[in-house]
Amino acid sequence: MHHANHYYGHSHVLARYCGLDDTDPPRLHGYLQHGWNIGDGLAPDHEYTPGVPSFLWSERTRRRAWSLGRRQGYVVGAPFAYLLAMEPAAADDEREGTIWYPFHGWEGQHVVGDHDGLMASMREVEDGPVTVCLYWQEFRDGKLRRRYEDAGFRVVCHGYRGGWWQDLDPGFLYRQLAELRRHKRVASNRLCSAIFYGALAGCAPAVYGDPMHLENEKQAFGGQPRIRREWAALHGPYVDPDLAGAAAVAELGADRLLAPAELRRLLGWPMPDRVADAELTGVLIR
Amino acid sequence: MTVQLIGGEMSVWSDLDATHGPAPAGDPALRPLLTAITGDVLVAGPHAPELVDAIPAGRVTLLVRGVADAEFLAARYASRPGVTVCCGSLDKFSTTAAYDTVVALDGLDRLLTPEAADLTWDETLTRLLAGLSPQGRLLLRLENLFGVHRLLSLPPTPPDTEWITPDDRDPTRPLGPDAVRARLASAGVAVTRDYAAYPGALLSGPALTDPALQGFWQATLAAAAPIEPQLADPARLITGALRHHLADALAPAWIFLAGPASAGPAPDALIAAPAGPAPKAGAAGPAPEVGAAGPVAEVRREAGGRWTHGGVPVPVGRTLADLLLAACARRALPDVRHLVTAWQAGPAAGVPAAQVIVDADGDLHGLAPAGPPLRALRQFAASAIAGGHAHLWPAPADEASLTALLAGMTGRELDPRDVPAIPPPAVESVRELIIARDRLTRELADARAKHEFYERQLARRDHDLRRLRQLNAVLSATAPGRAANTLVGGLKAGRRAVRAVVRRARD
Repeated sequence: MHHANHYYGHSHVLARYCGLDDTDPPRLHGYLQHGWNIGDGLAPDHEYTPGVPSFLWSERTRRRAWSLGRRQGYVVGAPFAYLLAMEPAAADDEREGTIWYPFHGWEGQHVVGDHDGLMASMREVEDGPVTVCLYWQEFRDGKLRRRYEDAGFRVVCHGYRGGWWQDLDPGFLYRQLAELRRHKRVASNRLCSAIFYGALAGCAPAVYGDPMHLENEKQAFGGQPRIRREWAALHGPYVDPDLAGAAAVAELGADRLLAPAELRRLLGWPMPDRVADAELTGVLIR
Repeated sequence: MTVQLIGGEMSVWSDLDATHGPAPAGDPALRPLLTAITGDVLVAGPHAPELVDAIPAGRVTLLVRGVADAEFLAARYASRPGVTVCCGSLDKFSTTAAYDTVVALDGLDRLLTPEAADLTWDETLTRLLAGLSPQGRLLLRLENLFGVHRLLSLPPTPPDTEWITPDDRDPTRPLGPDAVRARLASAGVAVTRDYAAYPGALLSGPALTDPALQGFWQATLAAAAPIEPQLADPARLITGALRHHLADALAPAWIFLAGPASAGPAPDALIAAPAGPAPKAGAAGPAPEVGAAGPVAEVRREAGGRWTHGGVPVPVGRTLADLLLAACARRALPDVRHLVTAWQAGPAAGVPAAQVIVDADGDLHGLAPAGPPLRALRQFAASAIAGGHAHLWPAPADEASLTALLAGMTGRELDPRDVPAIPPPAVESVRELIIARDRLTRELADARAKHEFYERQLARRDHDLRRLRQLNAVLSATAPGRAANTLVGGLKAGRRAVRAVVRRARD
């Protein structure tokens, strides 16, 4: 129903959870939330077709969406939480340092901010090795990437999120989870999906440094100032990990995951036994 | 036996056949009240013969106003000694006889005839009480003119019985149990027990107000709600009234037992409805009375505070349907999943959710016989949709899809096409029809919008396909394209040749 359903390999993860071919997820009959947000769960410019349900991450988002007139919301939880449920952490996980997600723009957006200042903040706070994860736009910008590398940071990119049903990257979340599990801490200059993912994956989260801004950034639903007010306890170089863990569970709906049978029915997906060539872990093999 | 025509009788009339008005008093739950009466009895007004049959042998006077009814009763009780049938209007009835018990379980509205003086409710009661001995006992029914049955009724056409319409603006007519108690006390006939009378159930105050029995009453009364065209499903109003402690105030009628009790304390409640746990063999307490119309069980509070129903403990808790809808309203989907899973995994799986009590330990007690589990699941889906809860799930929320989704919540794989059909409601009420109409209107609009969306998608994909074909044609015309075509053509020819050789070799 919408190309954003396939961002970050979300639909691929859900297909695997549902026992379907996760290299080629079926059409998803609804709109799948693809990032943490403070609005109705979907992108501000999202177009709605009446009667098409929105599959949201959290009950809090569903309530907010309802108050905004979006009646067709159903809480399913974040695909990342499903991935975590399918990929339990190894007992001998060795974690070190911090994975740092500088605020990024999305396709066609440009971030305005002082990266040198941000690097200085990182050095001031972090005492272990720091991996900087750049969005694919920034990662492709050799100049910016080298600035972080030259400053001694390891620089990674989880991949391209895909768009308009093309260049989909089913391995995106797998790479992100693997990176998060290598680190003790997850940090960013804005509270965002990655922070909640990290907290859910066992990292101690932190939100600090210049939050930067987008060119012509619109403060939808109260924007960054509201995030700072409403989730104040999750900001700072050191955040109470229990509180952050509980917030991550709630915001990612990790306590509300559906059984595969229910999820299949909701998404309008077939039963596994009707798909002859189900390749349950195709993405992993690839 | 001959019929005594006392005057004012109606020659072309029957109250018993219910052609001129409502059916006569005949709820089987009333029977145990009649089996307990003693002495000379006056049964005033139309009562179903099954109730009269329950009166112990002795002198019984039956007063009816229709000649046809009187003749029918005279024939029926011709061989029963002590029975007298009087036909006519109460105002003509001799009040010199002192009856030990006066039974007026049809109320006071069908005791007078068109020939009679226009007596008020209070004057009618005075006439009736005149026949009662000083130590006599009165069994009286009062219809609640603001009861659930009236609140939900479609605009009525006055029946033949209502040459005078019972009216709550009549200042002499009591408007609730308190007024009746006061009136009877002033007449020297103190009320010893009164019941809220619902179809198939008589419920005393102590039984109604105990929160422990809330679920049991919801299940019992909802199951026995009458099926007739009305404004809304009565089961929903009745269960709501129970939640709001208004079940007594909104009961269709009240039954009063007044005067000195002849036997032990009257039961706290009497249930003739289909709901109720089957009494176990050898269970303590009185065995439920079994009559032609099925068993009637007594509900009593035992000395230890425990409630029993026909001798077996009453399951204490809320109904599963109540808990499920409450969890849905809070959008507590994990709770819904837990409840549906527990229900469908246990022996109560085939019992409708409205007939399952969930106790404090989370154990489920079915109050009705179990049928196929999927049928029970579909019944819940149907009631949730008809109750206006369809918006809790993504559209389209038709019964089969919602049933499959509920099954999915239990981890069970179910195709909506495999969901068994259930018969549609015998009579649909106005509210449920409006809910269904609005839902279908919305679903049609949604389906049209989706259709347009798919049309746009198709046009876009068609456009992409055309462009790719054009690109393909252009590329095929270039030198590398032609070379590629030649190469592919050559490879295909080679493959054909190899196959031909292999075939010849086989032959």
